[in-house]
Amino acid sequence: MFDAMFMRVALLASVAASVPLSVLGVYLVIRRVVFLGLVLANAATVGAAVAQIVDWPPEVAAVITAVATAFGLGALPPPRHVAAESVIGWAYAAAASLTVLILAGAARADADTLHLLYGNVLAVSRDHAIGLVAVGIVVSLLHVMFGSRFLLVTFDAEAAQVAGVRTRLWSMGLNLSIGVTAAVTVHEIGALLTFALLTLPPMAALLVGRRIRTVFVISALVGLGAVCLGLIAAFQFDLPPGPVTVALLALTVSVMGVAGRWRA
Amino acid sequence: MSAVAILRAERLRLGYRNRVLAQDLSFEIDRGEILGIVGPNGCGKTTLLRTILGLVKPLSGHVTRDPTVTVAYVPQRERLETLLPITALEIVLMGRNARFAAWRRTGHNDRDAVRRALARVDAEALAPQLFRTLSGGQQQRVILARALAAEPDVLVLDEPTAGMDIASEAAILDFLRDLNRAQGVTVLLVTHMLSLVINLASTMMLMDAGTILHGPVNDIVREDRLSALYGVPVHLSRVAGQRVLVVGRHEASDV
Repeated sequence: MFDAMFMRVALLASVAASVPLSVLGVYLVIRRVVFLGLVLANAATVGAAVAQIVDWPPEVAAVITAVATAFGLGALPPPRHVAAESVIGWAYAAAASLTVLILAGAARADADTLHLLYGNVLAVSRDHAIGLVAVGIVVSLLHVMFGSRFLLVTFDAEAAQVAGVRTRLWSMGLNLSIGVTAAVTVHEIGALLTFALLTLPPMAALLVGRRIRTVFVISALVGLGAVCLGLIAAFQFDLPPGPVTVALLALTVSVMGVAGRWRA
Repeated sequence: MSAVAILRAERLRLGYRNRVLAQDLSFEIDRGEILGIVGPNGCGKTTLLRTILGLVKPLSGHVTRDPTVTVAYVPQRERLETLLPITALEIVLMGRNARFAAWRRTGHNDRDAVRRALARVDAEALAPQLFRTLSGGQQQRVILARALAAEPDVLVLDEPTAGMDIASEAAILDFLRDLNRAQGVTVLLVTHMLSLVINLASTMMLMDAGTILHGPVNDIVREDRLSALYGVPVHLSRVAGQRVLVVGRHEASDV
């Protein structure tokens, strides 16, 4: 199965995307803003859609829009009359509709467009896979170095601010790393799988993990295992790898939910 | 700012865009003081506290803080993120780490300081337990230990005894009193419980519907002032050396 180069590249890209997304997603789930992952993935597709019109490199445009969205949402003051997740819902609706409208207005509405919206890990080039690996390594290193700071501002941002920690800066840094990772992966594996990797492995890990370090490790392993199994299953049964992986992740969350209750 | 003042507020106007909670508020907090900010829910005492801490900006006026003092904050427990599976030890360590650069690793000194902080609030046994599995009183002690791990000059507490039984409440109050006397730590606390403040604080700020009384506790806690402020008869007495407030009309035969 992995004799073919495209399968080896697909495996490399899947692994490179799954680990940082699954680790970063833990913060989204704990901060109760899981749909921020969906917003960033869709913001990246808006950028890539715009790039199709103006003939820019889609990866660059995707990173710009995802990062701008992460900064924009991070800079907003907490809403007073609606929940914070409503604002995220608004941003998702706006980004999703913009993507469709921009693509509808674009001259090229072909297989490239579908690739942009849904991604296709089997079509990832070797250079793009290496790019994913590089981003994954940088983001992972940042989180190994500054993970305790990210946890500090996640647990109690106000006490951290009083102690002199620049909480807004760290929150933005966290959003930025999530935005960049989502932007570079969404073009290769699609918005659905990007969102699923940001959400479902952390959920599964939090259901069974008793320590935060364990949660990060379980989340990374669940993401990694799902993309590998998804790729194998997709090859064996001639199915699209993205949806197969998402289905496996959803199943894993259900199993972990039962396991978590049984342990408790 | 006077020689012993560590914080000065000048002509503060507090509130939100279309709702002013307090105005023309000027005061100083001295080193070694215990200031109690007390008032009913919604009177703006938490907003005042958050303004003092620099978490919210006043509508006008400003707060000046001695830059050399270390401030630690003990927020209301409801503000903490309980989805995070972290132990009491890890939380107290956060109080220590917040003082240093982000890339600095935790050392033996930090772990010792954390153990000392846990011991001071009698929470050593809680160290390996998940914070979210602790009772309200235990969680409060852990958050207090986190503040102590920073070795603060000023300790700021928001409703520190909320949801506690009377034994835990008394223990927290004794601890704050000892901390202030033995180490000169300035204590600033917000509560809606007047009885708590009048037995602990040296000065107090009594807030109600835009009215603010500020001064030494002995000057503020007078039956005529409290009765006028709350609009009901307030009687003051002493039991076992503690001030006790009795609110409302009571016949002698009722006692």
